[in-house]
Amino acid sequence: MATYILRRLIQTLGVVILLSYVCFYLMTLMPGDPVELMISSNPKITSEDVARLRSLYGLDQPAYKRYLNWVSQISSGDLGHSRTYRVPVSELLGPRLWNTFYLSMLALTFSILVALPIGVYTALNPGSRMDSIVSMLTFFGISMPSFLLALILIIIFAVQLNWLPAGGTETIGADNTGLAGILDRAKYLILPVLSLSLQSIGSFVRYARGSMLDVLRQDYVRTAKAKGLSYHVVIWKHAFRNALIPIITIIALSLSSVFSGALLTETVFAYQGVGKLVYDSIMGNDFNVAMVSFIISVSMVLLMNLIADILYGFVDPRISYQ
Amino acid sequence: MNQQTQDQQNIQSMEQAQPLWKMILTQFSEHKMAVAGVVIILFFILMALFADLISYASGLHPHRQNVSGRYLLPFTYSEVGSSEKETAVENWINQNTEVAAQLQAEIVGKNLLSVSEEDALYELALMPKEEGQEILKQIETVPSSFNQMLSDFKKFHPFGTDEVGRDVFIRLIYGARVSIGVGILSTVVAALIGLLIGSLAGFYGGWIDSLLMRLTDALLSLPLIPVMIVIAAVDLQKVPVLADFVGSGYESIIKMVLIICLFSWMTVARLVRGSILSLKEREFILAARTLGCQDHTIIFRHLFPNVVGPMLVSLTLGVGSSIIFEAALSFLGLGIMPPMASWGNMLTNAQEVIYKNVWLTILPGLMILLTVVSFNFMGDGLQSAVDPKSIKR
Repeated sequence: MATYILRRLIQTLGVVILLSYVCFYLMTLMPGDPVELMISSNPKITSEDVARLRSLYGLDQPAYKRYLNWVSQISSGDLGHSRTYRVPVSELLGPRLWNTFYLSMLALTFSILVALPIGVYTALNPGSRMDSIVSMLTFFGISMPSFLLALILIIIFAVQLNWLPAGGTETIGADNTGLAGILDRAKYLILPVLSLSLQSIGSFVRYARGSMLDVLRQDYVRTAKAKGLSYHVVIWKHAFRNALIPIITIIALSLSSVFSGALLTETVFAYQGVGKLVYDSIMGNDFNVAMVSFIISVSMVLLMNLIADILYGFVDPRISYQ
Repeated sequence: MNQQTQDQQNIQSMEQAQPLWKMILTQFSEHKMAVAGVVIILFFILMALFADLISYASGLHPHRQNVSGRYLLPFTYSEVGSSEKETAVENWINQNTEVAAQLQAEIVGKNLLSVSEEDALYELALMPKEEGQEILKQIETVPSSFNQMLSDFKKFHPFGTDEVGRDVFIRLIYGARVSIGVGILSTVVAALIGLLIGSLAGFYGGWIDSLLMRLTDALLSLPLIPVMIVIAAVDLQKVPVLADFVGSGYESIIKMVLIICLFSWMTVARLVRGSILSLKEREFILAARTLGCQDHTIIFRHLFPNVVGPMLVSLTLGVGSSIIFEAALSFLGLGIMPPMASWGNMLTNAQEVIYKNVWLTILPGLMILLTVVSFNFMGDGLQSAVDPKSIKR
């Protein structure tokens, strides 16, 4: 077990390092490096100034040297400054990470709470009218891009009905402490959570139904019924607990897609999460912020995948990590 | 008696050997939603193929802007502003001086308009379309280019216009070309990459297998949208090979296809590797080998038909997700670049324009949703059709 975790950790670290270099290299290929931006903002700049600025920022060095410089700077604890927000990156990142964490965890919890009962119910009544309606709806749920659903929700609930805010994280200038603060945040979270969870609800329902149907066909369920156990005990103790194993895998695997979706949802709703930070900083040529927020968010997803894999071993005792 | 003969016929037809594709087709046509999906997809593809013809027939142009006809609702008419009309008439007169003089003389000569000869055509262009048509009817030969210009001044917009006055209907049709085209092209290329990598890993095993599969797993675990955004933001002019495409007008399409390919070959690769690993051990492969079949016979006659079914399914489902990726990146302003229309980039300004005209968001969104649902239903139908366990005979 320990060696398995260690091996996976090293692999994850390898992916992160490789990805950070690729990302760093790609950033050098993006339009507008810091000096180019200074040139465009100051027409009187001379070519000697440009050359001096380039060597000052180290832009005349090859990409791998700049990458190594950047890594040594990061590892000494200095994440750099944001050009757009004029604050240290570390100050910017903390609240953003929490916002995204709330959003994705709420969406994930919401989709599990909605999807599991529906999945189990349709599996217990296969072929019923409800079953075919649900399978139709899940199909549309899976095919619906999250940003599209977000736009439609804004049109209905913010523009037409004017019930909920069209975007933002919290009411600016309002008292954000205690219960009032939580309720205020909740108002801004309803639409993003709804739009982010629909796709995962669709896929969770399908997996829950499939896995439950599969388990109900097993010999041990028949044995339990033959023993004369009550319906409830058979369904919940024998069938459901075993059906959960593949469902947990799917939930763990969907973490990265929830995070991907979160970037789009945050952008549509102007929700101040780390996904919006990644997008905004790339669009605004804010390289320090872009690199750090991108690497941190990707590493978080990879780490969560790893944790899910390890937890999986506790849920299913048949799995051994060799 | 009648019942009996029918039964006999049924039994006879069941005893006849059917080719595999026929069985798959029968099975597929039983999935009603899948058939509906195919019909919708074919309709959209035909629409995309005949986009130029539709544009010609309707007189609508995907890039033509009109400042005085912005945010129009569906089923409305737009009219260009008077200053644009005047410039257009001036240009026309300069291009066709003789014809114009003739026309002007005729209008004033027949006393249809009580203005000087120089102003006649301008006056004609500025008045409402119906009145103008009335006057032109009384003239024997109206030059077709003049008529064309007049009819360009007033347009019917079945789906309204967008924030710069472009017609939404024709942009949706040209958008179908880009969106479905990018979706299909990138999925096919990704499937070929996946086929290559999956079969390499499956055939050779050993370190090649573990290297390729580590790569596949690593790519699968990444949150794709953030990674795609980083790549999509790259300036093509700074990339050696791709810089040649800059300025050809297609660079954003090429970039889009490349990015989507890069991140969608993994499912096919895993599928192919898995099938090959399990097929290698099966009896019919052993039998073929014992009979002395050569490697390429085994690959093409025995392995390939067994892999092609599941691959077709994942290809169809892949087109749906490629269309979503294209739409998402274009929506963020990193995909297909305007003026070229794609369903995704028609949504780019959606957050602002929903306050002015909700159709600008709903219509492209509906097209994306319909297409993706259709491809997914088609994939679902194919899945149950090619699965030998589910074939009912």
